[in-house]
Amino acid sequence: MTPVVQVHDVTVAFGGLHALRGVDLDIAPGERLAIIGPNGAGKTTLFNVIAGDIAPTTGAVVIKGRDCTHRPSRHRPRLGLARTYQKARTFSGLTVCENIYLALAGHRGRHRTLWRSAADRRMRQEAAQVAGQVWLSGQLDVVAGELAHGQRRQLELAMAVAAQPDVMLLDEPASGLSRGERERLVELIESLDEQLTLLLIEHDMEVAFRVAQRVIVMADGRQVMAGSPDQVRADPHVHQIYLGTEGA
Amino acid sequence: MKLAFACLVFGLALLPAVATPFFVNFVMTQTLILGLAAATIVFLAKYGGMISLAQLLMVGIAGFMYGNAALDGGARGLNLGWHPWAAAGFAILVTTLVAFVLGAIASRSTGIYFLMLTLVYGVIGYFVFAQIVEISGPGGITSIQRPELLGPPVLLYYAGLLLSVAAYAGFRALGRTAFGLALQGVRDDPVRMASLGFNVPLHRALAFALAGFVAGLAGLLNVWWNGQIDPASISIGPTLILLIIAVIGGISSLKGAWLGAFVYVLVLTYLRDLPLVDRIGLTEARFNTVIGVIVLMIMVLSPEGLTGIVHKIRKQFGETRP
Ligand SMILES: Nc1ncnc2c1ncn2[C@@H]1O[C@H](COP(=O)(O)OP(=O)(O)OP(=O)(O)O)[C@@H](O)[C@H]1O
Ligand SMILES: [Mg+2]
Repeated sequence: MTPVVQVHDVTVAFGGLHALRGVDLDIAPGERLAIIGPNGAGKTTLFNVIAGDIAPTTGAVVIKGRDCTHRPSRHRPRLGLARTYQKARTFSGLTVCENIYLALAGHRGRHRTLWRSAADRRMRQEAAQVAGQVWLSGQLDVVAGELAHGQRRQLELAMAVAAQPDVMLLDEPASGLSRGERERLVELIESLDEQLTLLLIEHDMEVAFRVAQRVIVMADGRQVMAGSPDQVRADPHVHQIYLGTEGA
Repeated sequence: MKLAFACLVFGLALLPAVATPFFVNFVMTQTLILGLAAATIVFLAKYGGMISLAQLLMVGIAGFMYGNAALDGGARGLNLGWHPWAAAGFAILVTTLVAFVLGAIASRSTGIYFLMLTLVYGVIGYFVFAQIVEISGPGGITSIQRPELLGPPVLLYYAGLLLSVAAYAGFRALGRTAFGLALQGVRDDPVRMASLGFNVPLHRALAFALAGFVAGLAGLLNVWWNGQIDPASISIGPTLILLIIAVIGGISSLKGAWLGAFVYVLVLTYLRDLPLVDRIGLTEARFNTVIGVIVLMIMVLSPEGLTGIVHKIRKQFGETRP
């Protein structure tokens, strides 16, 4: 099967700092991939490159057969790609419903409508449904800036789920969540469409290993290991680089 | 809330029956024109997070374009001699297009850079009209007539009232449409908006064009009210005054734009009539100092401007009442 996302020998340099040093990655349709690694390994930078938020210094990104290396992020939703951010980027002046509504509007190309139509009302209803999926039904009319930290992460997730993407990139969705909330998050991810291709950055190994079929380990801008969750869990090298920094 | 707004509009509509012609045609018409122009600053700031110093330039462009197109056999300008309404349409069209282009150029800057860029627009605009004698020159364009339909001054007041109400209601309604919500999204997080599929620079440029369109309407009223327009009226001083009007009212409050304009016009008109003002050295040339002090006081008391103060007072009342 042809990969939905291909990353070819990508490097990213911020001035003299190399965040990525030659990353290659092929992701098959419907695959569930977890990316783990210590702080500063380049995981988020890899997401930024795939999602078009930054262009790589060298290398190429191909999504569904199309070269997207230098295509800006706003073309990604049309290709069926959606992402969340590590630090929640919600619209703090808008309500939960309006935040999700914008995710839908962006996906459907209703960017510049100057009136409120029936389609508009349907989108608001859909937004309310999606809010229910992430347990935010009670907060529909709450301004995002006033949400608790965990709720803002749920909203962040809702904005990615809303567009019903084929490829979803989740950057540390479990960070800052309580134990119960993590459990619900895993349930939510498991309830998503089987066809969905999912890339997940996660520090919480428990979450990562439960959700993923394949795990890659990154350190210092490179992929240092890849394998099934069991293989990675058993690898002493991983314990050294990952837990060595994390658990110290 | 809606009832209060309807009462206010109703009261303003009946005003000419009870107030003196001077108060209606001078104080209130000017308030409505300045309020309408300042409301475009508030619109861009509140929904788009863009503080624009180019709105008075848009007012000016509409005025100059109208003067050039409508006048026939005047001392300066192109003297195209068009029908007044054709000239008005032309003026609005040019203003909106210029606003779109300037908005597109500024669409990748935010915050202080956007402010500086729009200030540069204002300065360039001033020099364009001051130095290109074919379309204006330093003396400006004089003896400009308004369309016959708006002949009696009180009708100009009503035109100002109509456009102000329409702009206020329109901007408010726009805030809840896809376009308006997206604009607020762009204000809060442009990076996220882009990754949701929105064309952020285009959205900013369109909002700027819309604000230019409304400022152009204010510009038409302004040139009809004044009967003339010169480059000095869009120089830095007046540009800052329009911003100050928006700040007095509260930069994120649409009604504040008109409230700020009202306070400004009141001070400008009536300060000289207060007893003893000249004894304490308040000559006309020093009125700007008074306005500066008022702005300072308001900003110290409430960053939300007069609207913020009104809200505070209302809250106090609400709490003290049983
Ligand atoms: N926009 C940027 N400008 C400069 N340096 C950056 C930028 N973004 C990331 N970096 C640097 O690149 C390196 C990789 O960062 P990245 O955010 O990709 O790491 P990460 O693996 O996601 O780490 P974490 O687990 O802490 O989220 C870090 O050293 C970081 O400081
Ligand atoms: Mg990261």
